[in-house]
Amino acid sequence: MLAYLQNIVVLFSINAILALTLNFIMGYAGIFSLAHAVFFGIGAYTAAFVALNYTDSLVLCMLAAMGLSAVISMALALPALRVRGEYFVAASLGLQMIGVTIFSEWKSVTGGLGGMVGIPSPVFLGYTFRSTTDFLILAGVILIGILVITSLLVRGSFGRSLMAIRDSESAAQAYGKSVNTVKTLSVAISAGLAALGGVLYAFYMSFVNVEVFTLDMSILLMAMVIIGGTGTLIGPVVGAAIVMALPAALTYLPFIPPGELGTIQQIIYGSAMVILMMYRPGGVVGARAKGKST
Amino acid sequence: MLYLQLLVNGIQTGALYALIAAGFSLIFGMTRIFHAAHGATFTIAGFVFYEFYAVLEWGLIPSVLACAAAAALFGVLLNRWVYVVIQRHEGSFFTVFAASFGAAIVVQNLIAIFFGKGMVTVSTPLSRSIELMPGLYIAPMAFIAVITAIICFALLHYLFTHTNMGVALRALGENPVLVDVFGLNPKSLGKYAFLIGSVLVVPAAILTAATSGLNPAMGHHVMMISIAATIVGGVGSLRGAAMAGLLFGLAENLSLAFFDPQWSEAVTFVILFLFIIFRPGGFYGRAIVS
Amino acid sequence: MTAAQNLTDPAKILLQVRGLHKNFGGLQAITDVSLDLPSGVITTLVGPNGAGKTTLFNMITGHLVPSSGTVHWLGESLNGIAPWRIARKGIARTFQDLRLFNHMTVQENIETVMERSSWLWQRRSVAMKKKIEQVLDETELASKRHERAVDLAYAERKFLSLARIMAGDATLWLLDEPASGLDPRSFDRFVALLKSYAQRGVTICIIEHNLDIVIRLSDTVAFLDQGKLLAQGSSEDILKDPHLAAIYFGDR
Repeated sequence: MLAYLQNIVVLFSINAILALTLNFIMGYAGIFSLAHAVFFGIGAYTAAFVALNYTDSLVLCMLAAMGLSAVISMALALPALRVRGEYFVAASLGLQMIGVTIFSEWKSVTGGLGGMVGIPSPVFLGYTFRSTTDFLILAGVILIGILVITSLLVRGSFGRSLMAIRDSESAAQAYGKSVNTVKTLSVAISAGLAALGGVLYAFYMSFVNVEVFTLDMSILLMAMVIIGGTGTLIGPVVGAAIVMALPAALTYLPFIPPGELGTIQQIIYGSAMVILMMYRPGGVVGARAKGKST
Repeated sequence: MLYLQLLVNGIQTGALYALIAAGFSLIFGMTRIFHAAHGATFTIAGFVFYEFYAVLEWGLIPSVLACAAAAALFGVLLNRWVYVVIQRHEGSFFTVFAASFGAAIVVQNLIAIFFGKGMVTVSTPLSRSIELMPGLYIAPMAFIAVITAIICFALLHYLFTHTNMGVALRALGENPVLVDVFGLNPKSLGKYAFLIGSVLVVPAAILTAATSGLNPAMGHHVMMISIAATIVGGVGSLRGAAMAGLLFGLAENLSLAFFDPQWSEAVTFVILFLFIIFRPGGFYGRAIVS
Repeated sequence: MTAAQNLTDPAKILLQVRGLHKNFGGLQAITDVSLDLPSGVITTLVGPNGAGKTTLFNMITGHLVPSSGTVHWLGESLNGIAPWRIARKGIARTFQDLRLFNHMTVQENIETVMERSSWLWQRRSVAMKKKIEQVLDETELASKRHERAVDLAYAERKFLSLARIMAGDATLWLLDEPASGLDPRSFDRFVALLKSYAQRGVTICIIEHNLDIVIRLSDTVAFLDQGKLLAQGSSEDILKDPHLAAIYFGDR
């Protein structure tokens, strides 16, 4: 029982990390990305590759994963952000699709459809993370770390710039904000930190394969952020919890045939998105509702 | 000969993509709503046609009409019941987009419940390919696809240049504020944009049902092509979106000569990226830089 | 130096607009407009709706690119420079629809304008903190500092709009109908604030429709109609001209 619970908490932490980092751009900067699962994947594959081929040092794997993810995200952001917001959505969709294809086809690096197996346990300051409890602590530390970093950024000058741009991009420009720089930086931070979720995942599972890095996952993450609420820091965490709890809750309903569980789940969170956007755009947590930007 | 075959396939696919993309571009260009559920409209249209024609065996014309009605109803009602409500109190891009996406997910899964997750096809004699030349197989369906697309675009052109509503729609696309000044109601014009845009998927849905088949998850791919084509064609230009759709259909098929099938979708997006970097205005649009 | 002296002293002319044209497709929005905005002078742009006043502002701030003509600020050409860079040169504007950062508080609205750098973290210096307090005092918004902009009363929102400009240390203020709808007491405060900044050398240009406001505020008035600058002079000269009055009130 304990192991089962610990497992859920680790997975929940990973999802929360992903949702938090997605909210950083969606909720605070107003940038909509369908490629978040790809950065999750880049983090995971990079950590796996480095650990299998070079070193099992946790710190080095994390740095490599964050760095690569941030760089690729800037390749996405720089051209796409200087034009309108819709272009970024389309470009992110493109990156998501290309990313999945690369994950599945670049056999020499990603192991192709079979994925990468036998990823060694990470080592930090001589300590090897092996058991579920180890990972529970690691996940908790990383999650809290990301919460702290995001909180500092959001409450400081960078957060104000982001919110100003979201509230009125034309006014932000008129008052000296370099909108492109701020947006690109926020995308890089979001992708870099999301990669940490991938690092956790790769080491915890000892195995990565493309299945969790698809468009469906990006959509799921978007649902978590929207349902939990975009304007706050805990919103996405709550959203992650709700969306994760959904399949478990559904198994208790006797009239749902088990084969249809995934479908019903998707219907529920799809409907939740529609209804929330109509009546409570702030999401379940609900503070600081988003406004129309001019 | 391989190239010729791929070219023919490409034109067939491209014609269908052109129609779908034009529908999305029309809606987006005229209402500025990012109607991510356009793919769902396509899926609904396809499955309704399948249900009426192949399962209930109603006959071709009634099935086509039912399919068109379903598509139109979905588009117009989604606008009326969801988008308009959202726009009344807030209406940011994000909120509308998220709602649209949510609707698309619901539709996809509802269809999966009723029809199963697998592929269904409508078999008609017209789908069967004939060997026109050694190594070149074309189904009559290919010709129908291209001709239907041409007819639809001709009708659209007439609509936009010779009818009051059409001209008003174009004005709306150019400048929503001006439309108010001339006493037209942007909201009710929007209804027509959704009607026409949604109906445009019908030929493509029917033809796809008769050729490669339908499955509930295909809405994703349709939406991606629509979005990519709208951007590559130039935001606000129907002609551009249609041409871009054709380009994508050709690229998707011709790339099979050089790459594995798994990469054909990636080719579409590489093209999209190149346009965003080098020519964000697309074929015909004006690049609107923020 | 008084405003009157600045009007004629070429050394004090900070913004120079020369031969500005703008057409949109077939529509000629601005035709051959030349204008000097001197330091410490409050210039008002008047004219009927659609005369091109906001378009002129947009070309100075870089939101629109002129079809031809030049705009020089402190001797440097502003052509082709991005709006945010122009803002950092000391040119600030308000919008007719205010465009406050609605979901941020009064204090955050002011702080974010002062935080020029795009980088992730800026320490707030003592000087910055003093400036924030000063601006909040001058606009009488200190008691509302933690209220969201969207929750403020109308007059308070107008003053917040001004506060953003004051906090940014701008030396050219382009104000688009800043005083419309203000009650008499607020209006008096507003005039006093503008005049005090003009005395400190700030160049101010205002778009205004309300003629009483024009008379109270202006050192000089420029009359725009259909994209052309028809006349410029003191408010008495301009407003008493029967020809211009006919255009303004619509009997051509």
